[in-house]
Amino acid sequence: MTHATHTKPSRRGEGFATLLMVAPATALFAVMLVVPVGLAVYLSLTDWDGYSARPHVVGMANYAHLFGDPVMRHAATVTLLAAIVGTAGMNLLGLGFAVLVNGSSRANRFLRVVLFYPHVLSALVVGFLWSAILGTTGAVNSLVTAHGGSVLPFLSDPTWAVVTMIAVLVWAGFGVNVVLYLAGLQAVPASLVEAARIDGASRWQVFRHVTLPALGPVVTVNVVLSLVTLLKTYDLVVSLTAGGPAGQTQTLAYLILWNSFHDNRLGFGSAQSVVLMVVTAALALIVTRLRRRGEMAVYS
Amino acid sequence: MSEGLTTIDARADTATAPPEPPGTVRPRARRPRRVWRPLFLGVVAIFMLTPLYVLVVNAFKPQQQILEHPFGLPLGALTTRYLGHALHNPEFDIARGYAVTILFVVAVNVLSVVLAGPVSYVIARSPRRRYRALLLVFLAGTFIPSQVLVIPVVYVLKTLGLMGTIRGFVLFETSLTLPFSIFLYAGYIGTIPVTLDQAAAVDGAGRLRVFWKIIFPLMRPVVATMVILNTFSVWNDFVNPQIILGPGSGLYTVTTGVYAAVSQYSTDYTVVFPTLLLAIAPLLVFFVIMQRHIISGLTAGATKG
Amino acid sequence: MRPRHLSRAAVGALLSLALAACGGGGGFSGGNTSGGGDKGTVRMLVNITPNLTQSYWTELVKPFERAHPGVHVKIEAPTGKSVADTLPQQLAAGNAPDVVEQLTADRTRASQMLDLTDQPWVKGTPLAQQAAVGGRIYTVGVGEQAQSLIFYNKAAFAKAGIQQPPKTLDELTQDMGRLKAAGYLPLQTAGDFVTGLQLLQLADPSLAQSHPQWYQDVKAGRLKVGESLLPHLRLYKSWIAQGYVDKNAMGLKYPDSQTRFFAGKAAMYIMGSWFTAAEATAKKDFEVGVFPAPVQTGQRSPGPQGATMAAPYMILKSAEHRALALKLVQWLVTDKSAVTSQLQQDGNFRPGFDRRFTPLERQVQQILDAAPATVPQGEGYGDDTLPNGFNDAWNTQVQGLYVGRSPEKVAAAVDQWVASRS
Repeated sequence: MTHATHTKPSRRGEGFATLLMVAPATALFAVMLVVPVGLAVYLSLTDWDGYSARPHVVGMANYAHLFGDPVMRHAATVTLLAAIVGTAGMNLLGLGFAVLVNGSSRANRFLRVVLFYPHVLSALVVGFLWSAILGTTGAVNSLVTAHGGSVLPFLSDPTWAVVTMIAVLVWAGFGVNVVLYLAGLQAVPASLVEAARIDGASRWQVFRHVTLPALGPVVTVNVVLSLVTLLKTYDLVVSLTAGGPAGQTQTLAYLILWNSFHDNRLGFGSAQSVVLMVVTAALALIVTRLRRRGEMAVYS
Repeated sequence: MSEGLTTIDARADTATAPPEPPGTVRPRARRPRRVWRPLFLGVVAIFMLTPLYVLVVNAFKPQQQILEHPFGLPLGALTTRYLGHALHNPEFDIARGYAVTILFVVAVNVLSVVLAGPVSYVIARSPRRRYRALLLVFLAGTFIPSQVLVIPVVYVLKTLGLMGTIRGFVLFETSLTLPFSIFLYAGYIGTIPVTLDQAAAVDGAGRLRVFWKIIFPLMRPVVATMVILNTFSVWNDFVNPQIILGPGSGLYTVTTGVYAAVSQYSTDYTVVFPTLLLAIAPLLVFFVIMQRHIISGLTAGATKG
Repeated sequence: MRPRHLSRAAVGALLSLALAACGGGGGFSGGNTSGGGDKGTVRMLVNITPNLTQSYWTELVKPFERAHPGVHVKIEAPTGKSVADTLPQQLAAGNAPDVVEQLTADRTRASQMLDLTDQPWVKGTPLAQQAAVGGRIYTVGVGEQAQSLIFYNKAAFAKAGIQQPPKTLDELTQDMGRLKAAGYLPLQTAGDFVTGLQLLQLADPSLAQSHPQWYQDVKAGRLKVGESLLPHLRLYKSWIAQGYVDKNAMGLKYPDSQTRFFAGKAAMYIMGSWFTAAEATAKKDFEVGVFPAPVQTGQRSPGPQGATMAAPYMILKSAEHRALALKLVQWLVTDKSAVTSQLQQDGNFRPGFDRRFTPLERQVQQILDAAPATVPQGEGYGDDTLPNGFNDAWNTQVQGLYVGRSPEKVAAAVDQWVASRS
């Protein structure tokens, strides 16, 4: 049979080859991500404490509890605030600086590296670093108090601490947006821009009516990427504020791991995880729809 | 990008860029711009680099100096003593942390490409509905916040006997890279003419051979993009290695090691700064040397197609 | 060679390298797998602090290893924030250690721990009976930590004209006024876990008198935690308002608070007896004194002293080498040199174990001796426990006083927390 179809490989053989190409990735994905999501949903319906051998099914009790929990509500607010303000910040700065450092001059190349390098550091390191700079005994406050000023409560005042956290998130992350927007700018046809310039459009008009529309899909990708990343903010909280002061900078991911392990409420923590997953997917989908690019696969 | 746009060169700084930046917030003030733009960008660069400066200079200063002159550079008082302490910290062997982390990075990247490449090819080349659906399922995976999934993942790994092992960790980290890889790869393969496959098939090559021999070599830019992204994410991951490897395995990555070494001593700056510096310096130096390739590599795969 | 081949070869080499490496490393339990052998590795999860470093623990168990050839004690530091988060992670992962230090048994944990009641050596260990759960002993410790202590700067007290340390909370507040007038920060505190801990430590002697059956009453629903501590919360709020504590203290870490106290800027510091270990080595230009936390007016002074087990050990039921783990723990809590070393290292006490004492430690010993009783604190231990995580929830809420919350609101939030976990 194989012989007869020498120039066209056999169907069965090809079917097997296709299986060989699809199955491993699909199996790994299923075992490591799909099954755990299912397990999370199951655990969220139980009161498992991590110690007892067998979790008891408690139905929707965790979910009912979750929406009335003030700590959870606060963490949800902080997380959403960080995600929305952070996304706005990262994208405005990302696009702005992409425009400013576009071009191949030495200075621009240097600036791209400078804007991007925080991404090379882990969020954990970034948090420790900024807490050593902005903490009550940190670099900035040492300087301020040495000159007779009073301590600036970057991390000790509840409002400041949230603002500081978001600012550090943006500082550490917007370099990626710069790079992605730069890539987008490269793809804007030069002829289009030139044509508009010849027609007498100002720089701003060209940017607003030519460049920006052409960047459409890149904007979507950037916004979704920032949003998804910020919604799971955890490492930075651990090292920058440890959730303090008075629990004011706890994000959802921080609270989930805290509840699960520190308070031995893995069932409740799982319910929170499920909610976070649903919210993340919903927000990402809404953004994609809003951008009126019906297809999720903006690249294809 | 969408079909109508021109295909661009892989490098970020190419001649296809518009002759001049297409505009800023303050467009018409041409003359002042000449002064303001470099000034503004200079200030921004200083702001971005200050934390790095603080980290580097204070890694060489005693606590008292750090507290009194955090931004100062007392050339006479600098010492490598604390750097030495950090290097020989019994709780965090940085060289070992690097070795373990590099092993993870290599293993995850290789496994990720080997798994994601072929499936992306099938998805991109097949008109069938079921592969379209498969792509959507993989895509949904990008929305899963991995840190909060770690509890059930622990359960799964425990069942498979992979908890606390290198294998278990590498497999899980690889699975996290699959969604975005497949998304990018499938998009990229879509831009490679099908006639190439057909020509090879006529010569008698099977599907696997066609992919690895013909298509895969053409995917170099997009694979480079993914390798860079995956390297950062494996390197910087904190929760997953912390929990999956656990204290029992005796394994730590650079990131979890930093946590162990620094969190208890977060106010002893002679521990914090040298440890952080040692943890980031090699990676940072590598980044600076390779920055051209990394930054352009990041965008190359993402913009084609 | 054409580049394509080169890269294919490189990928192949890397892959085989990676797979080989995967096959090589990985397991987490060393040693043999026979249940009760007398050789092998005992894994012990311990608390790491500035006093108790990883190297201290490794050195501590060396004599035991020498006395038992073929036995290795593997010290494991928490990978999470603390032992309390790391142990559940390990249990969930199925790779729990054999011995765990720092935690005491409660109803949840007891189910996983080895019952030590019938071990003859357990009887003489401090607080073992008090920490029993349902009459069974799961936790044994090295000594006692006194909790309700206020350390003070003698120079500051002299400058403020305070002759006698205060006996009541009202006197304490008045003295704070004088100390402030004399140019000192009356009470040093910090963020981290310190804020809530200090208030619990301060409250122990008075709370134990106003509510002698506090844990039982709380459990039975006759008393609410927040409500019963409302007087202390109000007092603390008034201190914040009058500047007796630093309103920016939430940005300080635990070690910062010690450093600042030793720097001589603050007059008082509420902390457990382990603070004496830090005091013994700290550089300072004043003498440190100590007095027991005051009581409410009309109460007996000194009141009961908050006390916790120092270096509590538990053995997990799942321990691979149960016999070895038992031997190790017995050695850790009864061997004279091991006990003395641990007491010394973390500034703790145990009757009958004489060690080098600093003058300050002698005073703490006297306070312990003079206390009419010892009482559990916060989350508590043994049968008297609040839900897991109480101390941290309380801490978070007390910090709320600094960020503008009223004492009543804080008390209500604490009560809501307890209600939601019961």
